[in-house]
Amino acid sequence: MSTPASGATASSTTPLSSVAAEFVGVSQVYGSSVAVDNIDLQIEQGKLTTLLGPSGCGKTTSLRMLAGYLAPTSGEIRINGVDSTRLPPEKRNLGMVFQSYALFPHMTVADNVAYGLKLRKVAAKERDARVAECLDLVGLGHLADRKPKALSGGQQQRVALARAIAIRPSLLLLDEPLSNLDARLRVQMRTEIRRIQSETGLTVVLVTHDQDEALEMSDAMVLMRAGKIMQTGSPTDVFTAPANRFVADFLGYENFLDFDGRGLITVRPEHLRLQPAGVPVYAGTPSSANGFVLPATVTSVAYRGTDEIVTVTTADATPLKVSMHRGSSSAHLARLHPGDAVDISASAGDIVSLPAEAA
Amino acid sequence: MRNRPFLFTLAIVGYVIMIVPILFVVLSSFTAGSTLSFPPQGFSLQWFEKALAYEPFIDSLGSSLLLAILTTLIALGLGVPIALAIARSNLRGKAFVQSLFVSPLIVPELVIGLALYQQVMITLRLDSFIALMLGHIVILLPYAVRVTGATLALGDTSIEDAARGLGASPFHTFRTVTLPLMRPGIISAALLSFITSFNNVPLSLLLQSREFRTFPVTMLDYVQQSYDPMIAAMSTLIMAGTVVIAIIAERTVGFAKIFGGINK
Repeated sequence: MSTPASGATASSTTPLSSVAAEFVGVSQVYGSSVAVDNIDLQIEQGKLTTLLGPSGCGKTTSLRMLAGYLAPTSGEIRINGVDSTRLPPEKRNLGMVFQSYALFPHMTVADNVAYGLKLRKVAAKERDARVAECLDLVGLGHLADRKPKALSGGQQQRVALARAIAIRPSLLLLDEPLSNLDARLRVQMRTEIRRIQSETGLTVVLVTHDQDEALEMSDAMVLMRAGKIMQTGSPTDVFTAPANRFVADFLGYENFLDFDGRGLITVRPEHLRLQPAGVPVYAGTPSSANGFVLPATVTSVAYRGTDEIVTVTTADATPLKVSMHRGSSSAHLARLHPGDAVDISASAGDIVSLPAEAA
Repeated sequence: MRNRPFLFTLAIVGYVIMIVPILFVVLSSFTAGSTLSFPPQGFSLQWFEKALAYEPFIDSLGSSLLLAILTTLIALGLGVPIALAIARSNLRGKAFVQSLFVSPLIVPELVIGLALYQQVMITLRLDSFIALMLGHIVILLPYAVRVTGATLALGDTSIEDAARGLGASPFHTFRTVTLPLMRPGIISAALLSFITSFNNVPLSLLLQSREFRTFPVTMLDYVQQSYDPMIAAMSTLIMAGTVVIAIIAERTVGFAKIFGGINK
């Protein structure tokens, strides 16, 4: 029973060999609420794909359906080209790392990692070697005989990773793996997971609500909202060209402007410039092609250490946020006060056009 | 403790109140005299010899042990799956089922005994051992369900999910993960059930027969007829047995873990 593909029904279509897993029209409905709404998604072989979105967007539900803990209400889930929609988790050969790590508290670290290997009837000698190899991969070889309770959160998480990798899964699934770690460790583990992924060549699906984490770690990002996929693409693609207002907003584009119904545009706070009112600057027709200059009034200034966030209101009462890097630009800006008249400008290259308000 | 004199004093008073009366019983069981009195007159083991030779005690001790062991096993056999079902299912009316299994704690045991006496012994004409078994199982179920359930409620179901993901069948997951996680709860439920059954008087008073008599009732009968140090010797023996069980429990699982299952 250790070969997950055995006894599978012949699948109708043969997907590209580079697709490790695929959602085809998958929905998950609980009573009247739709957690996942008819999604289509391909997870590429050997890549790290993140499912990103706010809580309740359906990302964890999607991961649990992929892992087999939750049967989709409709649609098909294929793993390595085989319809696996009805396969129980134990027959999917996927390595899952839970948010709570879910280590077996009554077993040592080594026994935790060996658990899946024993089930696969791996001979004792090879089993020990693979346990040691996986623990070395996560840098915990010296803690093999400890119980999980004696480990720190970060160490427990590495054990969970080693345990999932030990079974040589066809996909490694990570459910908010870094959210229970402290800030410094979280950033450190991003590179660590990337390193493990490239050393093992595993296909990884990672669920997160942290856009920085997704941008830094992913090969492909899948942005979700209310059970639907909003945008899929590489971090650069998604970051530089958000598909709609939701994606832009989620990735930190805080300023949205619509000049006389000529279409919604957005600019990041760090791309807006602020000058004292009346200093002549280039002024063309405000649009995404020309850039813009707008008169505005300062409403508040918030100090944030590396930068200051200046909130202003334009003539038509649109609030805008400008991030001013300390030390950069003009020193007199430090003395901005609410009520001061300023000019806000952005150059064409920093302006992103968005489709009309629908998403 | 030391920098809290009030609490410290209270603890000492508490221990004194609990232990001193027991100490009186233990010391007077070693008396060489023939009356139950304190301080004991001389030292002898004669009352222990007499107690061990007194057939009703030995018979009823066997009966009580048998009853306690059997009913504990049955109550756990029923209680563990019930606790699992309550903790893990999404059934409606879960709270109702849960309170149903705790309700025997509220119903006076004499009422349970009377009901069983009428229905089981009079109407169905079954013997007193069966009636006692049923009665004890009813009063043990709350412990079996609640105490084992207390460990599950805390438990993270993702631990079981993890086992499934690693390739374990539902049964293998239960055997290698769920059951070991429930172990402290099961052990504490077993100890509580055993003690509750062994000490029970009201049910036994109503449901006993000439052929089947429990230990506490036999002691009660004896004290009513003759008040001599043999009863103290018997009590001391039982206490020694309890202490041995407690030491084993402490060495194998630890009290904190056993009774932690109740509080958390």
